[in-house]
Amino acid sequence: MDRHPVRLLLEDDLRRSRLTVFFRLLLAIPHLIWLALWSIAAFFAAIAGWFAALFTGQLPTSLHRFLGSWVRYATHLGAYLSLAANPYPGFTGEPGYPVDVVIPEREPQPRWKTAFRLVLAIPALMLAAVLGSGFAGGGGGYSQSGTDDTSGVPWLASSGVGGVAAVCAILGWFASLALGRMPVGLRNLAAYGLAYTAQAYSYLLLLTDRYPNSDPAAVGPAWGLPPHPIRLELADDGRRSRLTVFFRLLLAIPHFVWLALWGIAAFFAAIANGFVALFTGRSAAALHRFLAAYIRYYAHVSAFVSLVANPFPGFVGEPGYPVDISIDQPERQNRWITFFRIILAIPAFLLTGALSAALLMAAVLGWFAALATGRMPTGLRNLGAFSVRYHSQTNAYLFIVTDAYPHASPPLQPPPEPEPVYADPFQPLPEAV
Amino acid sequence: MPDDLTLPDVQLTGIPQEILGRADRYERFFRIEFVVSQIVLLTVLAVYARHGIRFAKESAAGRIGTGMLLAMIGLALVWISQVPFRLAEVWWNRRYDQTDSGYVETLFANWFELGAEFLFICFALAMVMALAGRFPRRWWLAAAPFFVGLAFLFGFIYPYLTPTDRLQRADLQAAGREYAAQQGIDPVPLRVEDVTDFTSAPNAYAVGFGPSKRIVFWNTLLDGSFTDDEVKTVLAHELGHHSSGHLVKGVLWYALFALPGAWLIARITRRRGGMGDPAAVPLSLLVIVVLDLLSLPVYNLISRHMEAEADWKALETTHRPEPAKALFKEFTIQSLNDPDPPRWSYVLFDSHPSVEQRIAMAEAWARRR
Repeated sequence: MDRHPVRLLLEDDLRRSRLTVFFRLLLAIPHLIWLALWSIAAFFAAIAGWFAALFTGQLPTSLHRFLGSWVRYATHLGAYLSLAANPYPGFTGEPGYPVDVVIPEREPQPRWKTAFRLVLAIPALMLAAVLGSGFAGGGGGYSQSGTDDTSGVPWLASSGVGGVAAVCAILGWFASLALGRMPVGLRNLAAYGLAYTAQAYSYLLLLTDRYPNSDPAAVGPAWGLPPHPIRLELADDGRRSRLTVFFRLLLAIPHFVWLALWGIAAFFAAIANGFVALFTGRSAAALHRFLAAYIRYYAHVSAFVSLVANPFPGFVGEPGYPVDISIDQPERQNRWITFFRIILAIPAFLLTGALSAALLMAAVLGWFAALATGRMPTGLRNLGAFSVRYHSQTNAYLFIVTDAYPHASPPLQPPPEPEPVYADPFQPLPEAV
Repeated sequence: MPDDLTLPDVQLTGIPQEILGRADRYERFFRIEFVVSQIVLLTVLAVYARHGIRFAKESAAGRIGTGMLLAMIGLALVWISQVPFRLAEVWWNRRYDQTDSGYVETLFANWFELGAEFLFICFALAMVMALAGRFPRRWWLAAAPFFVGLAFLFGFIYPYLTPTDRLQRADLQAAGREYAAQQGIDPVPLRVEDVTDFTSAPNAYAVGFGPSKRIVFWNTLLDGSFTDDEVKTVLAHELGHHSSGHLVKGVLWYALFALPGAWLIARITRRRGGMGDPAAVPLSLLVIVVLDLLSLPVYNLISRHMEAEADWKALETTHRPEPAKALFKEFTIQSLNDPDPPRWSYVLFDSHPSVEQRIAMAEAWARRR
């Protein structure tokens, strides 16, 4: 995998101080004010840098350092706010914070790319808004909406923690207060969102001419991913048929109808499965097969509609689709987890909602890209595939197919070495940094 | 309608010569546009019939699913090929003040309808391919009755799918009850459809079977441009469709064509492996469109006969030929209906008698009195 030059560095140990977690927003106020002021300066520096890069072909050293520090500082603050990191960040954006980004060295950039940078950056900024920046420039604040702030100066206006990172922060706040640790999946996902946002802003501010890449493998370190009974199998070659891309939503209509009908049956099957699992401690084989097929079919349709996969999927959820979900045989399930399943699933639901927004944005952007090039950009495809995987894990958890909690770390495949399964959603996992 | 009815020659008095010329020019465009659009459509489908199977590699959906995909792609290509003509129609209609629709609006307004078509074609094709998989040579025997059943079902539920409001005109409601009694049927609910967004042309239609029977007026007919007597003529005409059982007869006529049509599709697609094979789907689309085109003159002949019958029933109900004549003249003035279209165009395209024929019928009714 070709790593992006703006790369995430993650050295967080997951431990959180309950006191600072509880007061995190209040503690961040001085930083928010400072970032707002710094953002105003960065705005004018960016304009000056744009003219300079247009004439000389690269950003002046001083501006590169100034804007790079701003991006790094905003990332630190975002990590602090979204609980992806614990220590109180410094005010200068110095390297060394547990969630940090590498800013590439200054180098010459094609002038035509520089000239159109603002326009070219718009799709990346849109995606960054959904994934959730930690930036609190301009309007400042800890906004949950990353999409309603595009007025005014774009890089200052992306205020607050956006969709995915916001949900991670909210869920992480409760988890950290309860456990004194941040769940690794939430931390990784928030860090991924921050890193992508840093890429987007680095591109916008001419710190690099490499376009942001939302592929988790390109953004972050070698993420850890625990073995899970619900896994993603990706065999897509990225090629897309322009005609079927153009009419994708219409072509999916029969699948929507079938999915809705099957969903009704799956709902009742899941209830029955819940009772079986409560009494016998594992789900019934026939119900497990039926629900597993539905989960796979749901994933196939989601992948097809969101352009994560190309071929028209079958109607029975058979394995073999290019974006597929493999589901293990039924195993023993904890009866307590089964009994409280719906309540326990709420955090996963919330995260699924946020990731669905990211999937939608990836699909919209991918639609234009695939129409123009006949290929789905790998970054968007892999972001979408991650969302499909998480959604499938949530469905499987809800339908009592497994009691393994959905894991929010963004990589698509688990590492080669097997690691233990954690049924407890807040159980920390060994780091694979 | 009497068997010995002969229509007298009539003079189109009351319609300014300028309007007649305008109506002639207006409709000439649509005739040419129709011919060109059908040529384009057939060309697109012919190319698709030859090369469409290539899209099978875009499917992971098995035999029937792949067939559905190919059918939907075919429909999508048809839609794309007709977009320029749809825009041209809007341009022409705007030029002649027949619509206020915008071009962008025209492109995006029909997506819901297109989605419904996609769904319908998938359902129909799934049924045909399932039957053809089980009975490769005799599927058409079962498919034809199935489609006739579907046509009945669609005819029944259609009134519930179109958003309409109850007609708030006591005089027309009273006339509706009176005319229904005269025509020997139960009163039919009268509804109004708001069409202002896409046309200014006046119209009304009869829909539904049994409890779903309706008469729907476009609001453009009730905006004061037509007198109460003219609107009542329309009402009596539409009731005439219901009392003559035209809607049921229409489906029965369809049934008559369905069996040989299905047989022809089965016969022609056999060299592509038959309808059980997705490879035959693109060709089947071409065959359906060709059969549709070939049956158009016959369909229009039947339709014109039914319309004439409904006109006569309206005259027998209202006993007022003058409002009927005025109404038909007004159609020419407002909707720019060519009162006397060329013979070929009349035979091929017109589902209603010409304005001249309809006025002549009113005249004939008056003379018989």
